[in-house]
Amino acid sequence: MRSVYLKELTIYFSSPIFYVIACIFVCITGVFFYNSMVYVSLLTVRIAQYQVESGVNLSEILLGPIFADMSMLIVFIVPIISMRLYAEEQAQGTIELLFTYPVSDLKVLLAKYLAGMTILTCMLAITAVFMVLMLVVTSPDWGVVFTSYLGLLLMGGAILSLGIFASSLTKNQIVAAALTLGMVLCFWVVGWFAGVLPDTPTSGFLREISLVNHLSRFLKGILGVKDIVFYICFSVFFLSLSLRVLDSNRWRG
Amino acid sequence: MITIENLTKVYGPKIAIADVSFQVNRGEVLGFLGPNGAGKTTTMKILTSFMPPTSGRVTVMGHDTVKDSILSRRFIGYLPENTPLYTDMRVKTFLKFVAGVKGVKKANVPSRIKKVIADFGLEEVKDAVIATLSKGFRQRVGLAQAMINDPPVLVLDEPTIGLDPRQIYEIRQLIKDLSGTRTIILSSHILPEVSQLCDRVAIINKGKIVAIDSPQSLKARLQDHTLIVIQVGSRQEEARKIVEKIEGVLSVSSSNSRFLNIETVKDRDLRPVMAEKIVEARIPLLEIVRKEMSLEEIFMELITEEAGAGA
Repeated sequence: MRSVYLKELTIYFSSPIFYVIACIFVCITGVFFYNSMVYVSLLTVRIAQYQVESGVNLSEILLGPIFADMSMLIVFIVPIISMRLYAEEQAQGTIELLFTYPVSDLKVLLAKYLAGMTILTCMLAITAVFMVLMLVVTSPDWGVVFTSYLGLLLMGGAILSLGIFASSLTKNQIVAAALTLGMVLCFWVVGWFAGVLPDTPTSGFLREISLVNHLSRFLKGILGVKDIVFYICFSVFFLSLSLRVLDSNRWRG
Repeated sequence: MITIENLTKVYGPKIAIADVSFQVNRGEVLGFLGPNGAGKTTTMKILTSFMPPTSGRVTVMGHDTVKDSILSRRFIGYLPENTPLYTDMRVKTFLKFVAGVKGVKKANVPSRIKKVIADFGLEEVKDAVIATLSKGFRQRVGLAQAMINDPPVLVLDEPTIGLDPRQIYEIRQLIKDLSGTRTIILSSHILPEVSQLCDRVAIINKGKIVAIDSPQSLKARLQDHTLIVIQVGSRQEEARKIVEKIEGVLSVSSSNSRFLNIETVKDRDLRPVMAEKIVEARIPLLEIVRKEMSLEEIFMELITEEAGAGA
């Protein structure tokens, strides 16, 4: 399992794909960070001018939008990380090597999942630089920073499992990425429907299966067991679906 | 070593292999010979646990390839058709990965890598990215990954396809060096290749094993004669004497009381002469058939392909 994990990482780091998406991710997050910083500085100046009793939590104003923006970027970037995981093997025929080596399909799947998570973690780790820079203006609420990162990772993991599922279905990486994005957006917009529908069990259900609704509490600094369990179950469900698909691919040869 | 029992694989309406059974012994080199689409690759894919059979069963060193698949896979080094490789990786990194997956002990990994790099002449390309390698080198890398854990069984699907004549010669030489104590199953549609490398040849056509024997006796069986079968009712002995006198008849035997099996020279059709002589003697001739040997047809097809390819 360790070998497969290392192999996936080697391929990620030896192809331009990681550098391109990490670069885009960090640059755009940087722009958002700059915007927030400018906004907050203006706000502080104003607070100072009018001598307002400062009930404003600067770090919340700063952090909230940054992490919300990052979550949106993750929605677009994780499908690009996950698209190659099985589609590439199926297109190149290397799946035949991998599936005849003495290692179980489950271990291969987990190794690939972990490799994807590692790539995501690397990208998120780079953005930690911004948190440190924030110290110049204000000390961020480290608790919120922690829960936000955790939330982003859990949501990223859920999207990654969707991506692996899509990747197991096809030989074509573009199709895999598009399919993942489509499914993620579906699991996103169901949350909006929940807001429009009258308060019935259906709307409650839609709200609960929405990928984004569960993130909002993390971004406020709340660690909800329900949210953590949701993301983990979501991942397990789609990973086990992928296993079924791969098994059926074997039968069909 | 390897036992295949009543193996059948069906893809939707298409039957890829039908009720195939045979055994391969330790140290034997078995060649699968057959035209494209005959079921060679399917058999190999089942043997290596890439796909499960529809029915029947395969055991490698006593381990079932479906129920005990992880164990049976340990004993097999597999080179799939067209040599799929992780083209983004460097040769050495790739071999290290394969050694790890195949469970080579950590302490032995560097020495095993060194060994296969030396054995397969990969010294000059060991740090190259696989995508930049020529087809011949890729084939060597493919063999190297199959051999990294020194498995007792090697399964090679079309190991020389798409190579130039010199590379074909080199790869054949490498395979020859690997045989000995190791069991090797290789597939090919080139007759000379198989007869050069293999102790035994299984000829597959349309999902069935047509013949399985040593290359020499297969050739002998094929190239010497044409078989004609006649049925003459009760006066078999008289007919036999007449037929034996015809020029070109090599031997006559009766498989049972009703049929005479007549081996004749290959290049002439003796049926008209035979019929004439028998009828002349007023023996009722019930049937005269030239036995179509599917084996021969396949061989012809294979020989022509080799000639056509110019290799």
